Amino acid sequence: MVFDSLIKRYSYTIIGNDFTTAGKSSSDIKSNLKAIGIDAKIIRKIAIISYEAEINIIIHSLGGQLHCDLYEDKIVITSEDIGPGIPDIEMAMTEGFSTASDNVRELGFGAGMGLPNMKRYSDDFEISSSSNGTIIIITVLI
Amino acid sequence: MNFSIMFDKEKCKGCTNCMKRCPTQAIRLKESKAFIDGIKCIHCGECIKICPHEAYSAQSVESHKEKNYKYKIAIPSTTIYGQFPKGTEICKVQNAILKLGFDYVYDESWASELVSKAIKKRIEENKNIRPFISTNCPSTVRLIKIRYPSLMEHLISLEAPMEIAAKVARQRAKQLYNLEDKDIGVFYISPCPAKLLAVTDPIGPNKSHINWVVPLNTIYGDLYREVKKENDMCYSNPSLKGIKWAVSGGQSESAELLNYIAVNGMENIIDIFDEIENGKLSDVDFVETLACVGGCVGGTFNIENPFIASNTLKYIIYNTNEDTLLNDDLDKFEELYHEGIFDLKITEDKDQKGKLSIKDAVKRFEQIKEIVALLPGLDCGSCGAPTCFAHAEDIYENEAKLYDCVVLRAKSKEN
Repeated sequence: MVFDSLIKRYSYTIIGNDFTTAGKSSSDIKSNLKAIGIDAKIIRKIAIISYEAEINIIIHSLGGQLHCDLYEDKIVITSEDIGPGIPDIEMAMTEGFSTASDNVRELGFGAGMGLPNMKRYSDDFEISSSSNGTIIIITVLI
Repeated sequence: MNFSIMFDKEKCKGCTNCMKRCPTQAIRLKESKAFIDGIKCIHCGECIKICPHEAYSAQSVESHKEKNYKYKIAIPSTTIYGQFPKGTEICKVQNAILKLGFDYVYDESWASELVSKAIKKRIEENKNIRPFISTNCPSTVRLIKIRYPSLMEHLISLEAPMEIAAKVARQRAKQLYNLEDKDIGVFYISPCPAKLLAVTDPIGPNKSHINWVVPLNTIYGDLYREVKKENDMCYSNPSLKGIKWAVSGGQSESAELLNYIAVNGMENIIDIFDEIENGKLSDVDFVETLACVGGCVGGTFNIENPFIASNTLKYIIYNTNEDTLLNDDLDKFEELYHEGIFDLKITEDKDQKGKLSIKDAVKRFEQIKEIVALLPGLDCGSCGAPTCFAHAEDIYENEAKLYDCVVLRAKSKEN
């Protein structure tokens, strides 16, 4: 099908524990989508999802990649990180559950809403994790 | 489209100050003269404030005296009380306004107090929307319509106090004097051009109840002389809760909110709207946004420095006896709320990019980025666009040329 072909991928490298540039990649994704002229309601969802994904990589992993893939009928955000992974995914999906350190919380992050929020705004949410890292693939239909 | 900002081409020196300051990038320079895009303009008045050559001004308005109405009502903005030297008997202000040729003064502050109650009620009744965003400042509502349409559902959608004042005062005049709407002229004494536009071109489908807007600075001299007269009548004090609205944070304070954020100044508002778009602040009840620095006291039609005016207003609030204040409309709040007089409808703007397919839209964007890569990235504004990206967009749309860029021109000469 024509609609299955990838039109454009925007990729970002994210460094673990680097809070100085936190939010920059998701902000870039947002401004790209705005400049392209994607519907505002879709951008809102992508903005929330990509911001949470970016912050998760910074807080919980050594670093990773964030991708934003544009299709004619959907946008897919992929987050891949290298790190300890999530031992109990079901627990991590619970609102308010967080393994973030006090240090991170003092910065205003780590409220335990990251994964639940990402799922809430998605049309499809896939997560897999091992002791080497975590991959999350989130789809928002246009 | 109506326009509240006037531009004098002769005075413009092409200095780029306005273009760099404009929060929606609505200004370009063409042949060294500024040019405003009416679709992007949100009438915040930043260009009027920043222009060193006074090329911008608010739309000139006819005098209220020439307007032929049987009954003329004045609604002074809450900022008016911050414009006189500290210690002025502010109860004289309303009488001074009457002497300018009005039949009745309805102080905006009473309506502000009413709308404060409506804000509190709406927030308590709707727990599923957080944060609510204020709708008093027409410029910030227009900013949302143009740059942040996804935040439309966060707007609290309550009419601004000036509209409530106009509705209530009009109703009163009709009942008391058996007048018809066409006999009554309602004049708002305004602190800013955005309020002027809110009357001529409202943000929603409903017509404004105000007929004409009088810029505060155009009548200030007359008012000042009247207010300074010895033994003049003390008419009425404003609502002390209501006049808080003149200063950033005042709406929330007046509504007795605890969990709010008050943001003023366009750059700060843009930052906060970005945060809300990212899903943050969902634990905050109310975000109060006012385009001008300091709040409405920062509007271009005011006389006094906004920070001095806020200090004066605080002085008034602490030194006026609250027991002397009376307005029976406050008792009718519940009735008015259920009648729906506070409800504001806001029309959504149509998507201006049109209906390109995602593929074509991405292609357009990537080509613009290729042009951006050729530009020096200084965002100096010398080409006539506020940023290199904006210049690249203009080149793509055939509105500008690559060599409008002075840096590229200089480099090509060197070679």
